[in-house]
Amino acid sequence: MFRQALRQVAKQSSVVRRTYATEAASTPSDALKLSLALPFQTLYTDSEVEQVNLPSINGDLGILANHIPIVEQLRPGLLEIISKGGETEQYFVSGGIAMVQPGNKLTISAIEAFKPDQIDLNTVKNLIVDAQKRADSQDEVVAAEANIELEVLQALQLVAK
Amino acid sequence: MFRLGAKQIARAAAPQARNYATLREIEMRLKSIKNIEKITNTMKIVASTRLNKAQRAMQASRVFNESEAEFNKNADPAKTEELKEEGAEAATTPEDKTLLIVVSSDKGLCGSIHSQISKSARKRAQALNGNVDIVAIGDKVKAQLTRTHGDNVKLAFNGVGKEAPNFTEVALIVDEISKLGKYENVEILYNKFVSGVSFEPSTFSIFTSDAIANAPGINKYELENEEITKDLSEFSLANNLLTAMAEGYASEISARRNAMDNASKNAGDMINSYSILYNRTRQAVITNELVDIITGASSLD
Repeated sequence: MFRQALRQVAKQSSVVRRTYATEAASTPSDALKLSLALPFQTLYTDSEVEQVNLPSINGDLGILANHIPIVEQLRPGLLEIISKGGETEQYFVSGGIAMVQPGNKLTISAIEAFKPDQIDLNTVKNLIVDAQKRADSQDEVVAAEANIELEVLQALQLVAK
Repeated sequence: MFRLGAKQIARAAAPQARNYATLREIEMRLKSIKNIEKITNTMKIVASTRLNKAQRAMQASRVFNESEAEFNKNADPAKTEELKEEGAEAATTPEDKTLLIVVSSDKGLCGSIHSQISKSARKRAQALNGNVDIVAIGDKVKAQLTRTHGDNVKLAFNGVGKEAPNFTEVALIVDEISKLGKYENVEILYNKFVSGVSFEPSTFSIFTSDAIANAPGINKYELENEEITKDLSEFSLANNLLTAMAEGYASEISARRNAMDNASKNAGDMINSYSILYNRTRQAVITNELVDIITGASSLD
């Protein structure tokens, strides 16, 4: 029993040591590697970027290289990717999870992502009116769903051109 | 005795008298095999064209799942279970039920894909002493599991797996599954797409929020608030289910292509042997008729 526990501890500490070592070794280029994935499409795979601005539920975050590992839930909003050359790519994401992994890697799993110019402002406005009607519904489930919809749509409205 | 003998004669005489009929029978059989070959061939072509799309969907979902996998590798919530088990030893409550989500589809004609997954589900259920609740995704696997584990199947879905899965579909399924209550262990069984000719039943483990929060490597990550582990756990269920379904779909399509390819080949073999038989029988009929005519003619002389 004791020995097993000891081994467990030993194993763990060696794992920790190894990750630190590999971290140092595997980041000769100090660039942030971004993977942005949708369920049905992959937008970025391990591409080196300068900075990524995330809409998190705790506020907006700018991620640069060598950021400490975090796990953040995304809220509907604008995701900005600034490439090495300084060009900015913008995507509207509806939600998802972003993780900074040890080893200077940022992985974002979003449910949907669209470029702002793909969004039609008029349709958004119509949908907002529609959702607002339902938000006053007596049925709690319908109202809750409409409120979520509103949150996404209002974020969309700010982004759409 | 005499009666028996008479029957024997009657039977022997019958095929001769029905020579024409047999010929027609063979012809009909040949035609139907040719039709079947056409159908299986078409199904094969359809499956081949779908396979590309399915593989693309699978690839995308694999990447989508990667961040999750990497997090699990670093934070290692699987160790939480081990640590807990070692610490608590026998104190683990026996009523901890495992939820087994078995991913398959509604359609057959694709080889052993459904029976393999249900076989591994049965094996897993046995390993857990039958202390499992099963969610069957797809009619085929539901039918096979209700036969042996009727009481354990809590929920079944059909109408999935006709096309590559999308997230909305998966979210609806996960919503239904979460209504079943809380499970300490959740496992997803699916057919992993290995290559165009092979697949293997594999498992995804979904970790509960507690397991994530107590994972030995969780300190590597900075978490803004504790609630995120719950979101992460739910998201990971949806996420993994999507990957499982996409892999299952790709495996099924490729299995169907192979099954249909084999069926077409077999039909081709049968067509060959039947056409030989057909020609031979036809020749025999002609010879017989000639013999009849010639004997008739020579008897007149």
